[in-house]
Order: sequence, then C-alpha cells, then structure tokens
Amino acid sequence: MSGRVANRRIRLLLAVFAIVFGVTLVRAVWLQGVRAQSLGRMAASQHRTTVDLAANRGTIYDSAGVQLALGEQAITVYADPLQIRDATKVAPAVARILRLDPRQVYEKLSDRKHGFVYVERKADAARAARLQRLHITGLGFYPEERRFYPQHGIAAQVLGYAGIDNHGLSGLELALDKPLAGRAGRETLVRDPLGHVLDSIVSRPARNGSEVSLTINNVIQAQAEQVLRQTVQRWHAKDGTAIVLDPHTGAVLAMAVAPSYDANNFPGVSKDLQRNRAVTDTYEPGSTFKLVTVAGALSTGLVTPQEKFRLPYEIQVADRRIHDAELRGTETMSVATILSKSSNVGAITLAQLLGKDRLASWISRFDFGRPTGIDFPGESQGIVLPADKWSGSTIGNVPIGQGIAVTPIQMASAYAAIANGGMWTKPHLVERVGDGLAKPVARHRIVTRWIAHELTSMLQNVVLDGTGTLARIPGYHVAGKTGTAAKPDSQGGYSTSKYVASFVGFAPATRPRIVVLVTVDEPRGAIWGGVVAAPAFKAIAQQTLQYLSAPPDAPAQVTATSTP
Amino acid sequence: MIEAVDTRARGLRGRRNEAVEAASVVRRLDWILLAATGALVAYGLWAIAGITRHDVTGNANYYVVRQGVYASLGLLALVVAVFVDPEYYRRYRKQIYVGTLGLMVIVLLAGAVTRGSKRWLDLGFFKFQPSEFGKLLLVLFLAGMLADRAKRIGDSKTVLTAIGFAAGPIFLVFVQPDLGTAMVYTAALAGVLFLAGTRWTHLAILGGATLLAALLVLWILPAAGHPVLKSYQQQRVVGFMHRNDDPRGATYNVTQSINAVGAGGATGRGVKGATQTNLNFLPEHATDFVFASIAEQRGFVGVSILLLLYLLVIWRALKVMAGARDAFSAIAAGGIVVALLFQVFINVGMTVGIAPITGIPLPFVSVGGSAMIANLLAIGVLEAIYVRGTGRRRRY
Repeated sequence: MSGRVANRRIRLLLAVFAIVFGVTLVRAVWLQGVRAQSLGRMAASQHRTTVDLAANRGTIYDSAGVQLALGEQAITVYADPLQIRDATKVAPAVARILRLDPRQVYEKLSDRKHGFVYVERKADAARAARLQRLHITGLGFYPEERRFYPQHGIAAQVLGYAGIDNHGLSGLELALDKPLAGRAGRETLVRDPLGHVLDSIVSRPARNGSEVSLTINNVIQAQAEQVLRQTVQRWHAKDGTAIVLDPHTGAVLAMAVAPSYDANNFPGVSKDLQRNRAVTDTYEPGSTFKLVTVAGALSTGLVTPQEKFRLPYEIQVADRRIHDAELRGTETMSVATILSKSSNVGAITLAQLLGKDRLASWISRFDFGRPTGIDFPGESQGIVLPADKWSGSTIGNVPIGQGIAVTPIQMASAYAAIANGGMWTKPHLVERVGDGLAKPVARHRIVTRWIAHELTSMLQNVVLDGTGTLARIPGYHVAGKTGTAAKPDSQGGYSTSKYVASFVGFAPATRPRIVVLVTVDEPRGAIWGGVVAAPAFKAIAQQTLQYLSAPPDAPAQVTATSTP
Repeated sequence: MIEAVDTRARGLRGRRNEAVEAASVVRRLDWILLAATGALVAYGLWAIAGITRHDVTGNANYYVVRQGVYASLGLLALVVAVFVDPEYYRRYRKQIYVGTLGLMVIVLLAGAVTRGSKRWLDLGFFKFQPSEFGKLLLVLFLAGMLADRAKRIGDSKTVLTAIGFAAGPIFLVFVQPDLGTAMVYTAALAGVLFLAGTRWTHLAILGGATLLAALLVLWILPAAGHPVLKSYQQQRVVGFMHRNDDPRGATYNVTQSINAVGAGGATGRGVKGATQTNLNFLPEHATDFVFASIAEQRGFVGVSILLLLYLLVIWRALKVMAGARDAFSAIAAGGIVVALLFQVFINVGMTVGIAPITGIPLPFVSVGGSAMIANLLAIGVLEAIYVRGTGRRRRY
C-alpha cells in the first residue's frame, strides 16, 4: 500500500472528524442558543413548584371579647392510592380511627386511577394524629384550619359561615371575607427527582386575617334568642325576630332569629333557616308604623299632642271601609290617645290632614323604602310605593302600616331615632376590624328633640294604659308600640288568620339605653302584638337593662295609671 | 505515509544507547499534544470539581481528589509508555492479546456486579476495569497483525482474520454486558482496517454486514422472539430516535440531559445554579452524562472550549500518525485516535440527543480511574510513536 493511499485515508478520516465536530457544535448551538430558554424553563419547572401558604382566618369576637368564630387546627388526611399496599387492610383501620364509613374509605383507597384522594378534609386533629402514628405507607397529612363556632347557636344567622376552603359563604363571614381571610403567602419548593423537598423559599409570607369585633354582646344575644325561641314555641309561630339596639350609636347588641341552628352545622341547614330575617326579610308593620304618621302630623305643625278629634268607629276611604280594632262608639281622642289606643281611624284622619305627598316624604324621612346601610350582606330595602303610584285607598292603608313592607332593622332604627332625641343613626354590627378605628356613624335628624320627646310620652302611654301594658318593666319607664298586621294573602287581599304580631319600644323612656323590637310571624292562639310580642319585649328589655346595669328611672311606687 | 519498511530488520536498540535515547526522546516529544492533553485533564478536573460538589455529603472534593490521583497515575503510565519502544507491542502482541482476553474472562468469572453488569475487578483501593485498557491493547494487537500482513491487506482472508481476533474481546465485553465499550472496540477495528488499507469493496461489505447485524439485533430478532440486547439497552438505543415517546421511562436520561444542556445557555448556570446536576435530575452526571453537566454549568462557552481541546488532541494525534516510522506505528496511532474520537462523539452525541444512549465515558473527563489511566497511557503510546517517527513534517 502506497503512502499516497494512506495519506488519502488520513485526510478522509480528518474530514469525518471535522463533520462530526461540526454536527456536534451545531447541535450545541441549537440547544444552548436557540432552545436555551424553553429548556431552561423545563429544567426549572421540574424542581420548583409554587404553593400557597394558607393564611389563618381572623377570629370574630363579640363586644365583650368572647370568641364567636375562630380557626381551629385540623388535619387533612389524603392518600396516594397507588402507594397503598393493601386497601382491604388499610381502609378499616383508617375508617375506625377517623370514624368514617369503611366502605367509602375503601372505595377511595382502592381507586388506582388517581394519585391523590382526600380521605378526610379537616379531620379532627387528635384522631388524625393517632392515624399518623401508624405510619401507613401512602397516607399523607397536612394541617389545615377549620372554622369553628364555639358558641354554636349564638348569632348563627348573623355570623353566617366560612366553608371548607375558608371562604365566607354567608352572613358576616361573607361580608367581612376580605379582612377575615387575610392574604395567602407564596412559597417556592425545590424538590429532588423523588419529590423530597430540599429547600423552600417563602416569596411572600402569609398575612393572617384581621380580627373582627362585633357590637353583638353574647349575653344579650343569648337572652334575646332564648326569649324569642320560647315565644315562637309558646305561640306555635312560624318564626320570629328580635333586635336590641343602642339608640345612640346604632350598635346592634343582639339580633336574633328563631328558629335557629348550630352555626357549625350550617351546610346541612335549609336555606330558609340560614337567612338573617331581621335584615333580609320584610313584613307589613301594622300599627307600629303609626309613629311615622303621628310624627309627620306633629312636625308639620298641623296638630298638637293634646289636640282632640271626634272619631267614629269606622271611616270610608275611597272604596274601603276601615275600622278600629275594637268595636266602640264615636269617641273624642287626642293625638296622644290615637297612638296609645292605636286607633286606625285616628291615624288615617291625621294622614288625611297631612296629605299623601307629605306623608310619603315623612315615610322616606324615616328611612323606610331604602336600606339602612347596616353592614350585613343582602339587606332588603322594603317595599314603599312612591306617592304618584298611590291609589285612592292608599291613604287609608299606609298610615296604619298596611300596603307597605319594612324590615325589622328599619323599624328598630326608626324607633331608635325617637329614643335618640330625633336623630336617626345607621345601625351596625361590626365594631372594629383589625386595629382599625370604629368608623364614624352616619346619622341625621328626622324630628326635633321636642317632637321626639312628645312622641316618647305618647309611646309611654301605650305601655301605661294602651295596647302594650304587658311590656311594662318594674322600675323603668317604657315607651313602645304594638303592631298587629294581617299578612297579605295570595289573592291580593289580607289573610284573616295569618298575622305578624310585633312590639317595638325603648327603655328607660327618660334616658333610653336600648331599643328592642320583637316580631312574631303567624302566632296561633292570639294574634295581638300586645299579647304575643309585648311580653317578649319585656323579657328581653328587662334582662338587657339588668345586664347593662341601667339605673331605674321609675321608682317602684309609681302606679300603672300615672301619666307622664 | 505507511510505508512498507521492514522494521524487523532494524531491530531494537541496545542498552548502551538508552541514556542518549532518553534525552532525545524528551527533546523530540510533541509538546502540543502533551499540552492539549494536560489542558483537557485539567479542564476535566475543574469541571468535575463543580459537578460533584453536591454528590458526597460532607466531602465536596471527594471525586475531584480521587480523579486527580488517577490522573497522576495516568501521567506516570504516560511517561513510562513514552520510553517503551512501540516495537515491543508488535513483538509481544500475542501475549497482549491473550492477556487481554484472560483479564476479561476473569472479570466475567470474578468481577464485581454493579447494577446488573460485571465490568470491574475490585482491587480494594481501585476498581480495575480491564475493558478500558482493552481499547488500547486491542488496537495495538490488530495494528501489529495487520502491519505484518501489509502486503496481503487486499486479501479477504486477512480482513476476516482481523475480525476473527477482534470478535473475542468484543464478545466478552458485550456479555458483561457493556454495549458501549463493545461498540468502541468495533469502531477501533473498523478504524485500523480502514487505515491499514483494506479495500473499499471489503469495507463496503463489512459496512453492509454491520448494518444488517444492527437490524437483526435491534428489530428482526426481537420481533422473532429472540432478543439479543437487554431490554433497557434496546430501549435506549432505539429510544433516541423516538425521544418523546416516554419521557419518564426509557428516554428519561436523555430528556433530562437535553434539558440540562439547553438550560446552560451561552455562559452556563454556574455550579450553584445547575439544578439538573445538583438535584440529581440528571443521572450519571459525573460519568456518562458529564458533558451535559458541563454544558449546564459552563454553558456553550465551556462546551466549545472542551470540544476545541479534543479537536487539538485529535489533530496532533493525526500528525503523529502521519509522521510514524512504520506501518504498525501508523495503524496503531490511527486506531487510538479513532477509538478516542468515537468515544467523544458517541458520548457527546448521546447527551445532546443525536446518538443512542450506550454508556460510554467521556475521555479525560468522566469520573473513573481505569479510563483515565488507559487514555493517558494511549497518549503515551502516541508520544512514543511520535518521538521515534521520521521527523518529517508531511502535509496530509
């Protein structure tokens, strides 16, 4: 073989080497130049995962610092069915410790289509810990917060509920979800190929939810709930509401709805029971609404409190005849007596003096027909016809609280305005969120101090010798008004058997501390506000005044018949 | 260049000339080849230091220290080899061949089993891998054999004889099983046959036969129910052609490797940022996939430097071949350089996804004592050939 041939072969070899190096270099340029970014992302994505760091949900306190809703440590148990060695053995053990249905647990653990199943979300921490000690391969645990309502039934409808993912679903939990929830943190986990966490970088720490203090007082609330529950039971009523309000600040001290339920059982409770009817539901108020008519007539200067009217038993308004509740002959009544005896004919007479436009504007002035703005979600604005939609008979309806629908909180706020010397104050449930200061309360004057004083005197007469004598509280002057309203029926008229009995008032009348409203829906056996609702008012108000240590304004010897 | 000079007539030099010869040897060394090799080893050690920093807890320098010791031993072997006249290899090629086969049989009988294959003899302080030395020894044997039959190189009998002798070590390595090294042996065989002047028709037939064998081994026999390769070998070899079929299974390694190479980008992610290597997503990152780790940590710049150093070594090796004093030396040098280049290409190629995964170490870089020593020894043989070459600087 000649040297020339050999040289040619060496050159060929060199050419092959050059091509091979060229190809390799081009490939390196392709991977490290052109595709570098996407490959870099792929490399990063397989060892870095970003997870949320749960923020603890804020605690809800009552005004006395008692916990109404709090986060409780629970442990979520999950499983990787692919790693469960023998589901037939593991499932019964798991089910026994966690107190679950063994068949359901078995179904989950033997489901090899998934690499992750929840065995139990937010399981009891102690039981989960016992399970954890068994070191069963394929089971996993992580702590999670579970919402717990330590007072159970107390203020259940007001508090609402925060669900499995710690999101507020209803009530104040919903309204205050943002501050309560806080902000979840972010954490980047670095894992090795087997999934072991090697390192974690908290890129944003979790910010726990703010603590919230309510104006609700757990004792007043519990007492109000108990009285209301007994009242609803005693009269076999459908439901009822009770509100205790501080007339000067608008703070809601209690807001009770019956029937109630344990807040922890919220998911299993019917939607009907979950509603906070004191804010979301309306009712035709009946006689308690006469306050507006009388306040309007007095404020416009058309009448004075002692001005007398000759009033027949019946009055014809357009196509309707309206009569008083109790049969009587034609009587002479003062404006004060009209209110204390709750004369329909008298109220309509005053309204006719006032005229529909002025009456409508007074209704509006008392903030009926629009939401009070209370800090609770889903408030109803009530149903108030504007003056231009009134029919001829409306002037015979509305002044006595028919053909108009209000919420309990609207009515309580209207009476609170009188108790507060004529100054309407926006009601509220939330005292403070986090470290924030209480917001200034919105208020506006609706009647003069003098008119408020006059109206208070009249309302005291209601309790002293009018329709509301069962609302009397020994040692205190009480001002209030009964209401008995037939419920509208489905035919557009009024039911003859279904009523809403109510009582709203305040005490002590000379220096009001609390406004209390009680409504009882469809009581049976008696329908009268003065019979059904007034005793409940008395019980709630009396207990609340005692709890607040309100000094009595009426010495014990004051007789029932004395006039202020 | 490979001239039919009868080297046997010249014989071996006498003892008295040894001192004189030693001086002339040192004077005539190819310092560029030595420098390039030294740079490659140093670069490899530096790369390994970064790559294995997180591999042994509490001893960041575990691998680099060991590798440094092996490199020193390799340097010693290189120096010794420089002073050994290659003529000895030709003269004692039968002993070399029998010795090589004998070691491989011992490996099969008494070798340490690591992950299902027997490749090493555990000497306690050192895991001796005869097949790494076999690369050099097989080349020396085949070169001697072919050089002696230079005049009958055109005979198919000569070619078949060479193949027959090579088949022994190839088979013994293949059954370890070590598919990669068997492939290196085959490449070395092809290289020496090509450089010895085997006819193109013979080469073409051999190429066709190899192709047929590959088809038989990879597709036809497995389809007929007689698998030749282990299933993981089969999957890896075929897998590089269908890389996206099964990214978490058979092609996991190469997927991770390509991710690592790409993630390195132009200038690399550094030692700290190389998550593919440090978090062990890239398997075998100090041995078979060391190139991917270098690419991840040092980027395209680091890769280019490495490839240029290989190019430098191979260019000088070709020069050694061109200036060899006789056919044996030239063929031996050629076989060494072909085996070296084949390893570099297959290793780099598999990590960047253009060659099948076969588990071949990257010469001078991958962690492993036997390979390091054997490769430096091979460079020593190249130098020995060079210093005894014609000295003529021929163009090629």
